[in-house]
This record gives sequence, C-alpha cells and structure tokens, in this order.
Amino acid sequence: MSALNIFLFEFKHFSRSRDKVLAYMFFVLACIYALYNGFSLYNKQQATISSIEQKKQEDILKIKSWYDEGKKGPEDRPWIDITNPSWALWNAPTYTIKQPSPLLPLGIGQAEQYGFYKKITNWSSTYDNDMVEELANPERLVNGNIDFAFLILFLLPLLWIILTYNINGFEIDSHFNKLIAIQIRNTKSWILARLMFYVLLLWLTVTIFMLVVGVINGSVVSYSKLFSLIFLATTYLLIWALISLVIILKSKGSSFQAFTMISVWLVFCVIIPGALHLYASIQYPPNLMTDYLDTNRKEANEIYELPLDTLAKRIVNLYPELVKTQHGQDSVADELIVNNTVRAINNQMNKKTIEKIEQENEKKNELIKTSYWFNPVSFFQNKWNSITETDYYAYKAYRKNVQKAIDKKMELLVLECWDKRKVDKSTYENYLQLLTK
Amino acid sequence: MIEIFLNEWKGFYRNRLMAVVALLFVASLALVTWLGVVQNQKQIESQLKAHRHIRAQWDELETMNPHKAAHFGSYAFKPNTILNSLDEGVNAVTGKVLRLEGHTQHDLVYSEASQSLLVSKFGKLMPSLLFQFVIPLFLIFLAFNTYAKERDSGRLKLLLIQGTSLQKILFSKILSIWIIGVLCLIISILTQVVFNGNAFHADFPLRMILMISSYSLYYLIITTLTVLLSAIFSSASVSLSTTIAIWVLWTIFLPKIVGNAVEKLSPLPTRVEFQKAMDEDRSKGIDGHNPSGERKKELEKEILAKYKVDSLSQLPINFDGIVMQADEEYGNMVWDKHFGKLYQQMQSQKRNYQFSGIINPFASLQNLSMGAAGTDMFHHLDFLKQAEEYRRVFIKTLNDKMAYGGSKTGDWDWKADSEFFKSVKDFEYKPISIKTIFPKYLTDILVLVLWAVVMLTLVNYTSKRISIL
Repeated sequence: MSALNIFLFEFKHFSRSRDKVLAYMFFVLACIYALYNGFSLYNKQQATISSIEQKKQEDILKIKSWYDEGKKGPEDRPWIDITNPSWALWNAPTYTIKQPSPLLPLGIGQAEQYGFYKKITNWSSTYDNDMVEELANPERLVNGNIDFAFLILFLLPLLWIILTYNINGFEIDSHFNKLIAIQIRNTKSWILARLMFYVLLLWLTVTIFMLVVGVINGSVVSYSKLFSLIFLATTYLLIWALISLVIILKSKGSSFQAFTMISVWLVFCVIIPGALHLYASIQYPPNLMTDYLDTNRKEANEIYELPLDTLAKRIVNLYPELVKTQHGQDSVADELIVNNTVRAINNQMNKKTIEKIEQENEKKNELIKTSYWFNPVSFFQNKWNSITETDYYAYKAYRKNVQKAIDKKMELLVLECWDKRKVDKSTYENYLQLLTK
Repeated sequence: MIEIFLNEWKGFYRNRLMAVVALLFVASLALVTWLGVVQNQKQIESQLKAHRHIRAQWDELETMNPHKAAHFGSYAFKPNTILNSLDEGVNAVTGKVLRLEGHTQHDLVYSEASQSLLVSKFGKLMPSLLFQFVIPLFLIFLAFNTYAKERDSGRLKLLLIQGTSLQKILFSKILSIWIIGVLCLIISILTQVVFNGNAFHADFPLRMILMISSYSLYYLIITTLTVLLSAIFSSASVSLSTTIAIWVLWTIFLPKIVGNAVEKLSPLPTRVEFQKAMDEDRSKGIDGHNPSGERKKELEKEILAKYKVDSLSQLPINFDGIVMQADEEYGNMVWDKHFGKLYQQMQSQKRNYQFSGIINPFASLQNLSMGAAGTDMFHHLDFLKQAEEYRRVFIKTLNDKMAYGGSKTGDWDWKADSEFFKSVKDFEYKPISIKTIFPKYLTDILVLVLWAVVMLTLVNYTSKRISIL
C-alpha cells in the first residue's frame, strides 16, 4: 500500500468516524467564535480610541474658542488663565494610545490586563490609576477568553488527541495489528502517513483561518508577522505530531494511547506552567508598589515642604538650559512659576522608582524565560503574544511611550513657564503640535 | 456490596503501577498544598508589611491641614484569605492596592498578572488546579474500564451468577473510585490544617465543609458518568474517549465560552463611557474646590441661617470643611449610583453563569470552590465596599476636623496636630461570613446535587436494562 493510498484511506476513515468529524467541526466552530471574539475586542478598542480622539478634538475646539473670544477660561473658574503656559498646557489634551495590533484577533494575550490609552497631564506617571485594564468581570478574567491563540496552544493538541488516539491502538485492541504488519511491511511509515493526514488537515484549517484575518485586516496587517505566526503554529503542531508518533510506536492499545497523550497534554499545558507560575510567585511575590506609593505620597509631600530656592535649584539641575530663560536670570524665585513646575522633580523621582519596579518585573520574566526549555507551551504562548503585540513587553513599550509623552509635556511646561511666555492661540496650537509629534 | 468494594481496593493495591502512581500523586498533592500555603503566607506577610508601612507614615504626620491630609490619603491592600492557598480565585487577576483619598474613588490596581509575562493559562499549580483538573482525570482513568474489564473477562457473569445484582456491582465500583477522590481532598485539607493551623478563623470549618462537599459531589458525578458510559459502550476505548471529550468540554471549553457569552449578553460599559457618565453626574454637584456653584450658595444660606449669622466670617466654624464634606457626600451618591449599577451587572452576569451549571457541573464546582475559599467576586466586591465605606469615614473625619476643629472659613493654613491624625481609625478588612455568602451559592449546590442524583438514577436505570447473561 503506497503512502498516498494510506493517506486517502485515512481520509475515508476520518469522514466515516462521526465522533472525529464532530470534534473537528466543533474545533472549526470554536475557531470562528474565537476570531469573532478577537475582532470584537479589536473593534471595541478602536471605537474607544475614536471616542477619545473625538473628545480631544472637542476640548481643543473649546479652548481655541476661548482664545478667539479673549476669555481666560470658563466663567465659573476665574482662577484659570490660559495665557499662562501652565494652564494652557493643562488644557492641551494629550493622549498616548496603544493602537490594537492588527493581529489582535489572532491572540488577545495579556491585552485584557492593561489599559491602552492614557491622558497625559502634568501629574501623570506610567503607573497611574488610569493605566488599568478595561472594566471586566473578574471571574470572567480568571476563566480567560476563548481566543485563537488559546485554541491553537491548548485545544488543538486536544483535538489532535481525539483524532489520533486510536491510530494503531484500534488495530492492537482488535488484534489485527499483525495482519497489518504483514500487509504493509513498514508499520512505522503506515503510522506516519496516517498521522500526516491529520497534520495536513489541521495545518490547512489553522492556516486558512489565519490568512482570513490577514485578508480582513489586509491594509494594516504585517504579513511577515502573520507568516511568523503560521510558522509558529506549524512547528507547534509538528511537535505534538512527533510526541504522538512516539506514543503510538510504544502503544499497547488505544486506551493506553489516549491515557498517555492526555497525560502529556496535562503535564505540558497545565502542570508545568502551573508549577512554574507558583514557583515564580513564591520567588517574586506580587509587587505592592510601596516604593512607588512612597514616591507619590510621602516623598512628593516632602518636596512641597522645601524652600522655594531649593526647589528652583533642583528644577534647574534637571533642565540646565533654564538658566538662560527669563526667570532663570531673575535673582528671586517666583513662587507661582516654581510651584507650577515643581512637578518636574516628582516626575524625575517617579522615573527612578519605576525603573526599579521594571527591573524587578524583569527578574521574574527572566525566570520565566529560563524555563522555556522544559516549559515549551509557555514559550509558544509568549512568542505568539509577542508577535500579536499583546504580551508584557508590548505594554512595557507602551509605558515607555507614555513616559516619553510625560517628559515632553514636562519639559515644555518648565521651559515655557520659566520663560514667562504669554500664550495666545498660535502658541497653543504650537503646543498641540509639539505634544502630538 | 462491601465485598465488591473491598475487592476493588485490593485490586488497586495489588496493581504495582497503580500503587506507585497513587503514592506519587498523594505526595505531589501534599507538596502542592504546602507550596500553596508558603506562597499565600508570603503574600499575607507582604500585605501586612505594606499596610503597616503606609499606616506608620500616616501616624508620623506632623501638623497638617486636614484637607491636605485628605489628599495625602491612605492605601488599602486587599488581603489574602487563608484559604487563598487552596483556590486563588480572582486574586491573581484583580489589583491589590486601592488608593483612598478625598474627592475621588480609585480603582484597585497592580494585579499580579500585569507584572510579568504570561506563565500559565490555567493558573498556578494550587490544590484547586489539581482538584479541578487532575483528580477528575485521575478518576476517569480509574473508572473507564472498571466495568468493561469485568465484562470482557467474564467475571461479571460469574458475579451475577453468585447472586450479586448488577446495580450493586456498579454502585460498589463507583463508591470505591469516588472514595479515592475524597481521600485526595482530605489529604490536601489535612496538609492545609497542619501548616496553617494557627491562622484559622471561626468560619473555617463551614468553608471547609462547603468545599469538601462540592468537590465530593463533583467527583461523584464524574465517577458515575464514567462508569455509566463504560457500561453503555461496548468498547472501553470508546467510553474513555467520550468521557475525555466531556471532560474537555466541561473543564476547558464551556467555562470560557459561557463566560464570554454571559458578558456579551449583558456587556459592561467601557471605562471611557463609565467615566463620562460619572463625570456628568458629578458635575451637577458641589465642587469642593469651586466656590461659585449654585448648590454651594444654597448650602451657605442654610449654614448661615443655622448659626444665625450674616456672613461666613462670623461663623464659629470653617465653612470650607462643610463644603468639602457636602462635595464628598454628593460624590458618594454618584459613586453609589454608578458603581452600584456596575456591581449589580457583574452579579447578574455571575447569576447567569451559575445557570450554566445545568449543562456543565464544573461551572458550579468552580463557583463553589472560589466562594468557599473566599476568593470569588462576592468577596472581592465586599472588600471594595468595605474600603469605600472606610474612605468615607476617613474623609469625613478629616472634613469635620476642618469644619469644627477650631479654624475659620478661608483659613487654609490652619493645621491639625499630629495626635489628631494618630487618632484616625485604621482600615481593617473584616472578611464576609460564609453564612452571608451561602445563599448566593444555593443554585450551584442544587445544580451539583441534581447532577449527582440524575447520574445515580441513570446508573440505577441502566443497571436494570443491560443484558449480560
């Protein structure tokens, strides 16, 4: 019997096995549902971003109208003066947004654990309360989302087990394995050809779904990333095929195969990642961020207790170019200017503290990464999330962008306040341009 | 029946592979439970340390304006329950730190899940993971050919000829395997008691009874179902694959799909929508820092009339403190309205999820396990509620000091002494009692009982219908 015949025979076997076809159809439906979920989250994030953009434009128009009408601010808040750079920048709506990756429908990853938009104010930091995730039912978060990555990494191996658990096992159970051996001579290639049918079937199914996402999000999707995902899925599938092949070759019957395969799945998908998760949590317990809390509360409070001259000097130390500004050349520190820009010192303190926090988080990540050689599912999971830009590092990069935006706003605030700039509409527009660059 | 039961256990004992696997499994279970206790104790210590650290900073406050102190604020750290070491529930995905300050109600932030790369999609290797995923699978493998083996070897006929009924045989087999699951549970609970003994509270026995009963019922359902399918199908491998398919469906697939569906049926607002609605309502109240609001003018009139004076300067109290408190109270009403609605919606999602137990008993088990461990959404919301109640008392104490502590209106430089700050009560979370939470889980309990009854009835029915001889 040629390999092609075995292959075609396997197709017949598959199409006549009601339970296998049912399991396969179930998986296909799950894929459709998972993609629907992914697109739904992608569209929800896009809609939220659009509403933020709209609100931002409305706010800008309102402020511009104040300049046009010669107003300094809203009538019920007479202390606001938008001709002062501090108030002008306070009223220059600035947002840093993490656009959802066009590949998000293929893997939600850790996207539900983080915020994806941030309003940048003079008081912002990258660990503010508004950097948190969207409103969600915590018990739903515990169960997680049915996303495409979950289907590939966890359900695909289970489907694989259902499809292949009785290859050779059934023949052993029915005692005609010896008959097969006489007819086929090389039992290994017979098993391999049968397995290859399912490899091809699942590979085609998964690839088609992934290409569909490529087509739907065609204008924005990076094809190199999409092909990296297809490559990753193919490798993963082949690894499971190899594991099954070894189990089938050592087979004592279909029950043995099913038991061993499901045990391997349980060990690699649940037990090892779970054990590592527990170990990592014991080694690096959740950070309660007391350093950050201290910086923002006690230490920030202490800053405000310092004498004006000391504060002015510390601000100049941060921005040496301030000595050339109007206020920098004054002999007496102006209380309003210094108070309006003192936040720059807090920003610097925050950055130092946050760097330490990020380093702590990195230690935990290093521990996770060193486990990849015995914890391959976590490797594939994080690699997948990295390509779909939904992993920890994608959000770390986003936090860096937020910090850059804070720094930019802070520098502009300090320089403009110390230069005693009088802000008009064109200066305000210039601020907006500088902040959105 | 007892003889069949004992014979079954003898069989387990004589099977060396089975004995080794069981021994290893029991050892791992005890180890995992111990590690769960260690992890939980570490977290509890770090929460206590953080709490003391933050409180010490408050106690060290020197003279300060009470309103400035309200902005200095405090933090509440969500404590882990002792039984968190058995089932972590929502604690891995929810934040741990809540800022408490004037004017604003913050969110719980800094979840463990946001502090590193993703490790496990099914959570840490805590006892709950073994109880929910591994033990049922273990029971399935013990049970799937227990009947078929007897039938295929011809021993079944022999037993029936000797006068035993098929019903007794099936129930004995179910019982003998089910007890293994229950023993695993007891070993884990005993390990928990040994390493955590000192820290248990009065609620502990009731919570343990609820947890053990729920898992026992679930194991009974799983064992009965496996034996039932083993009796129905002529081939052991078909019965095994069917049971595993059901296990996958119940454990892996349905919880996620139903969870998603429930959220889609009654979707929560986005943070932007939610905040916008709150801001709109908030803007209609008094702005504590905005002295020109209409409501503020009304309040001013009322206070002047109350003290029978004509101007704020004549007041013996500080009107600013009154305004701040009025602003807080309005904010509290807005918070109650919006968060109340949000929490109700979450609870309604949970109720809908609970009904999925009708098709998936695993969902009921998961709910009961988290509920008994005190790590479910109800306990989570209760923590948020208690923290918010504390915040209100905390800010009111500061606002009252500002208003009635001896300062006059407009005197923003007035400072309260350090003794006053030390006298402000600290936040202490009192875990919700199991008796309060129990009625919310009646659906899950009923569903599990119903499943068990239906399964046992089906076995009983099948035992009378199967023809052996």
